[in-house]
Amino acid sequence: MTSPAQSAETWFESFGVTDAVIREALAVATQFGADDADIYFEHATSTSIMLADRKVSRAFTGVDLGAGIRVVVGDQVGYAYTEDLTRESLLRAAGTACQIARGGALTAPVDASPARLPDFYPMDREWSDVEMDVRVPMLRKWEEEAFSRDSRIQRVQAYLADGDKRVLLVRADGRRVADYRPMTRGFVSCVAVDGSTTESGSYNVSARDGLGFYDAGRQDRLVDMAVARALRALTAEAPPAGEMPVVMAAGSSGILLHEAIGHGMEADFNRKGISIYADKLGKKIAPESVTIHDNGTLPHTRGALNVDDEGEETEDTVLVRNGVLETYIHDRISARQYGVNPTGSGRRESFRHPVLPRMRATYMDSGSHTPEEIIASVKHGLYCESFSNGQVQIGAGDFAFYVREGRLIENGKLTTPVKDVNLIGNGPSVLEAIEMVGNDMMIDEGGWTCGKDGQSVPVSQGMPTVKVGKLSVGGRS
Amino acid sequence: MSEQINLAERVLAEALRLGADEAGVSVSSGSHTTIVRRDGKVEQATEATNRDVSVSLFVDGRSSSHSTSDLRDEAITWFLKRAIAATRYLEPDLDRRQPEGALCGRGASEAALDQYDATFEARLPESRAELASEMEQSLRKRFDDRVISGSTWCADGKSHVARVLSNGFSGEHQSTGFSLGGDVTLDEGNGKRPEAAAYFSARHLEDLPSIDFIADEVMDRAKERLGAGPIESGTYPLILLNRAAGRIFGMLGGPISGGSIFEKRSCLADKLGEAIASPSLTIMDDPTIPRGMGSRPWDGDALRAAPRTIIKEGVLENFYINVYYGRRLSMEPTSGSRSNWIVAPGARSWQEVAAQYDKAILVNSFLGGNNNGISGDFSFGIRGVLLENGQPTRSLSEMNVSGNILTLFKKIVAVGNDPWMYSANQIPTVVFGDVDFSGL
Repeated sequence: MTSPAQSAETWFESFGVTDAVIREALAVATQFGADDADIYFEHATSTSIMLADRKVSRAFTGVDLGAGIRVVVGDQVGYAYTEDLTRESLLRAAGTACQIARGGALTAPVDASPARLPDFYPMDREWSDVEMDVRVPMLRKWEEEAFSRDSRIQRVQAYLADGDKRVLLVRADGRRVADYRPMTRGFVSCVAVDGSTTESGSYNVSARDGLGFYDAGRQDRLVDMAVARALRALTAEAPPAGEMPVVMAAGSSGILLHEAIGHGMEADFNRKGISIYADKLGKKIAPESVTIHDNGTLPHTRGALNVDDEGEETEDTVLVRNGVLETYIHDRISARQYGVNPTGSGRRESFRHPVLPRMRATYMDSGSHTPEEIIASVKHGLYCESFSNGQVQIGAGDFAFYVREGRLIENGKLTTPVKDVNLIGNGPSVLEAIEMVGNDMMIDEGGWTCGKDGQSVPVSQGMPTVKVGKLSVGGRS
Repeated sequence: MSEQINLAERVLAEALRLGADEAGVSVSSGSHTTIVRRDGKVEQATEATNRDVSVSLFVDGRSSSHSTSDLRDEAITWFLKRAIAATRYLEPDLDRRQPEGALCGRGASEAALDQYDATFEARLPESRAELASEMEQSLRKRFDDRVISGSTWCADGKSHVARVLSNGFSGEHQSTGFSLGGDVTLDEGNGKRPEAAAYFSARHLEDLPSIDFIADEVMDRAKERLGAGPIESGTYPLILLNRAAGRIFGMLGGPISGGSIFEKRSCLADKLGEAIASPSLTIMDDPTIPRGMGSRPWDGDALRAAPRTIIKEGVLENFYINVYYGRRLSMEPTSGSRSNWIVAPGARSWQEVAAQYDKAILVNSFLGGNNNGISGDFSFGIRGVLLENGQPTRSLSEMNVSGNILTLFKKIVAVGNDPWMYSANQIPTVVFGDVDFSGL
């Protein structure tokens, strides 16, 4: 039996894509010269089923097939894609993509032989082989258990979304890689009603993994957390407004890193000089206790990649070591410009999109404090536990994230639950204001998606409990 | 008959032959180009054509939807077989069957909607390249020594949809879109690099503003951000700039949709016929306006497009009810989703209204934030300008605006006379009374 990962190498032959056609398309793409050129084939199948009002009566399946051709000269990119993999369409796309190119070093494509890759998401059974009759009872069970937890739970919604993606990338310099990439996400949302108060809570789990990801413990946690969040929200209030110390809980608080520093480290922004971190390489930007990674090699995480979308192997990139900014996140364009090795961070949403340097799994190393110590050190502040979304302005450095759930800290103790508040700060100031780092780093198991230039890619994030001296909390005056 | 509608009918016939009791098929196709320029040259040029098929099925009382871009004949048959087999595993839900054919159709002719700019076909690659180059030159002419980087963006595209339903509905619709804009990053001198962008979109090329106007907008918006910072937390009048208003008004969309109402996830479920906003607020949903960015001949269920009043002088008049939730809630379907939102303009300019306040906060964009459709609570990061007696006195950032939609829209003091014309939200600048802002 061939594993899904091995089958990716020959997958596109069944669509009539031969080595000869690939070579011909790359020859057209590089006819005016180029510094880099590649062709990226993708075949993705997806399934999602949804439960609402006690019925599993909605489902969606999708097939996405196509190829993108990229021609690079310096920092100029020509890009064209097609959903039709015939020779004529591929040559037409190559002819369009090369229009931008005049000059460049590369002219003739080299014969490509397959590269051996690591396997960060081994699978026994791909999602296409899992029948609907396996999925439907899972949602049923989540729903029944949520209702059974508490009589105040009045409505349950749930979904299970999964898919298989196969990609083949061939570069004009002879690099050839194929990858099979699974993804799944489970989601439960509950509405709780108590007297005249109605609130909701949700939880989701996601990974590059198969059915085995949903072990008993994870399924229980999915339900427990959704129920607990809905019930806690019933008594939660809006926090007071203004600047205050903020303690970020371990796990999903990694959203702070993603927004406050992660995007600012993407080398496309820095090579254009438009990131607030553009002149900070080698400089101290955070206290010594802060070490931040962007890692594409954590098994089964959403951000894991055996190979990036321009054929580079991924790695554990240390962005900040002991407070000092060490490197940016590079694709091949920026790596050439900076004269460094790519960090395996060139990603694209699909064959419809050109490559950009993107985050994978972004997290901070554990420090020395216990979470209890950190909370006890705050007289009046906010403890943030769950998040929905965030955003950043790369140049000004201002960033924000939305806290769905948290608690007030009063005299070193967690007190009143709070909900629905936006927090805002400035990246470099917030990094300097990190006062304590906990010893409890964890990678969040939730399904985070990062948006940039209209492209969405799956990412992971993690964090130990961390105390930030001050952030502006959008509460009520 | 077009090639696309032929394909749609073939797929429909195949779905029915393979066992579907009802089916609907859409064939979408289009092409688009984007040219990004920076430093006097093309930074990225993208060109593509696309075509995909989506299918909705009703099989043995069960329903599902599917899409594919693999349009080889044998692949479509394989795809439909799998889709039908998968549907049989779902739980029955008879309310998911198609609407009656009589409800479906076109609410306005293609000519009346005027979504297609016939000059698109005649556009040559050279004319696109020239427009992109002129846009960049105009922006670069305005650069001063504070500019770190600036880029411009020039895009166009066309799309066509052919749709058939087994209830007898059949229709085709096509549209074009053009976008032009730019961004610029300035050096503030203290490490901060404030950036701003201005993008404009229209269905017809001639409706875009001039490139000089766009270039001025990009530079003005960036300069307005120099020296930005927070001021003291407190309540201030909120002046919500027209181009940013979609974010705040958009919060109303979730709670007035049938799904939220049915699932008990709406703070407005019991407010139909009640005043939820100041009498100065009237919102129309009009899918039929010529050249509107959100105009359409029919909606997601293929229901005939028709204008509706959402809020009339503060009173909530309509929910968004699609066919499914209409059956579940025993309500007449309206439409499942928003088209163009037209907020009736007021008589006075916002500048005239703002002049009466010692201090007011003009919000021109948002950073992060979200809202809770069940409670109505919201909290957004903002950027904007402090106005004192109507005059700009400092640039604002690192601040949040928070509140609850059930009270916010009742605080509207005045609606300006300057509706934004470059999106599906044609909303003027709106002035709200005291609203909570957090900063220092």
